[in-house]
Amino acid sequence: MIAPDSAASLSAERRFDLVAAVLIGVIAVLAAVLSVAQMSSSQAANRADLEAARLAADLSARIAVSGQATDSALGLQQTALMLAIDATAREEAGVQYSDPASLAIGGAEQSAYDKLKAILAYTSDTTGGKPVDAYTAGLLNATTQQLVAEVQEQNHQVDLANAATSSEQRAVLGLSFLALAGVLTGLAAVLREGRGGRIALSAAGIMSAAAGLMAVLALV
Amino acid sequence: MTGEIIETTAVESPAVAVAEIVIPGREGGHGHGGVATLLTAAAVVAAIIGFRAAVISGSASDSWQSALRTEVKRSAAAMEDVNSLYQTELPIAVRILQARAVQSELLAAAQQASGPTRAALVTEADVQGQLITALSSSSELATNSSYALDSGGLDLGKALADLRAQSPDLLALDPDGLESTGDELANKAQLTILALIPTSLAALFGVLAQPVRSRRRLLLGLGTVALAGGAVMAVAVEVLA
Repeated sequence: MIAPDSAASLSAERRFDLVAAVLIGVIAVLAAVLSVAQMSSSQAANRADLEAARLAADLSARIAVSGQATDSALGLQQTALMLAIDATAREEAGVQYSDPASLAIGGAEQSAYDKLKAILAYTSDTTGGKPVDAYTAGLLNATTQQLVAEVQEQNHQVDLANAATSSEQRAVLGLSFLALAGVLTGLAAVLREGRGGRIALSAAGIMSAAAGLMAVLALV
Repeated sequence: MTGEIIETTAVESPAVAVAEIVIPGREGGHGHGGVATLLTAAAVVAAIIGFRAAVISGSASDSWQSALRTEVKRSAAAMEDVNSLYQTELPIAVRILQARAVQSELLAAAQQASGPTRAALVTEADVQGQLITALSSSSELATNSSYALDSGGLDLGKALADLRAQSPDLLALDPDGLESTGDELANKAQLTILALIPTSLAALFGVLAQPVRSRRRLLLGLGTVALAGGAVMAVAVEVLA
């Protein structure tokens, strides 16, 4: 006959094996879930980081090039204005010193100013026009509103990268808990049913639960 | 030792049911092979899936990195060309345009004038003419008739397009395309790694099949189906995505 205490011991051992098996299975599933979460977060963080860097580079180019186009247009207007000022100065000098030649030159320059102003305005209008490629035209014609929108998008990408990095950290923390749970389950399997084995198995369960929590946090 | 006790008392004891379920090494290999095979296969498939997903994910990162490098290269090239046109060529061309306009008006005024005034206007026009001659050799923008507008201005759009076309390789840079490639690869990597979920379920069923002997066949069957699902999913992603 088998003794009643032997039967109880066998039953306890069965429970122990069952719990250990369930834990190992849960660890396997959680490892897969955390791997998915970690890779997904890592990729999201990586992409957002690089997108933010791309946008920063694009912003720098847009600001520099559109600024240059604006400066150039202003410079052309100043060139025409300088001619007008020169013309007026010559005319005034002609009147002051009764010099008909200066007056005539000043008058001619004044007429040239009107002509030059129109010519330079037409020239400025061709900035960023066809057949310039779309990318360069976009740089030249960037408006302040477009730049502000791009800055906001760049900041958004940085925020996305930070959030994804936090998720990735949670996933990695979960995997660390899981590794610990695996070791503790292995220890429990070595110690078998007994106080030490039960403690190791309980700790493995707690670590697995913590890993599960991290998986949920990483995926949310 | 426990195994020996059960072997001798199994027929007599109600505990035989428990003993049949739990005693390692007593099952005479019945189902053990299945569990071991399933777990090994699950581990191998999981390793292959993980490795493949990591490789694809690495390729996605490479594409994104290339997109960033290409973006920097493209913007630097565009800035260089814009700089060259607007800061180097345009100021000289504008000076020539100014000299032409002034010379034209001076000569027109000279035709209406006479004596010393006419001489002064002609002299001044000659000064502008010499200026035009001196500068023209260094300004293709002002002298190339294809850049001249009917209105008398310069077609900066055409000039910049021609300047950019001198480096077609730089003009063809496409960081957006590289980024899209990276996105596609990242998507593929994520779909691939998702195949780990059914594969891990196969491991779960396999591990449970060890102590739960009464349902071992069912669990092994479920594990096999899950493993096959994971493998098929991974192959499908590899082939189709």
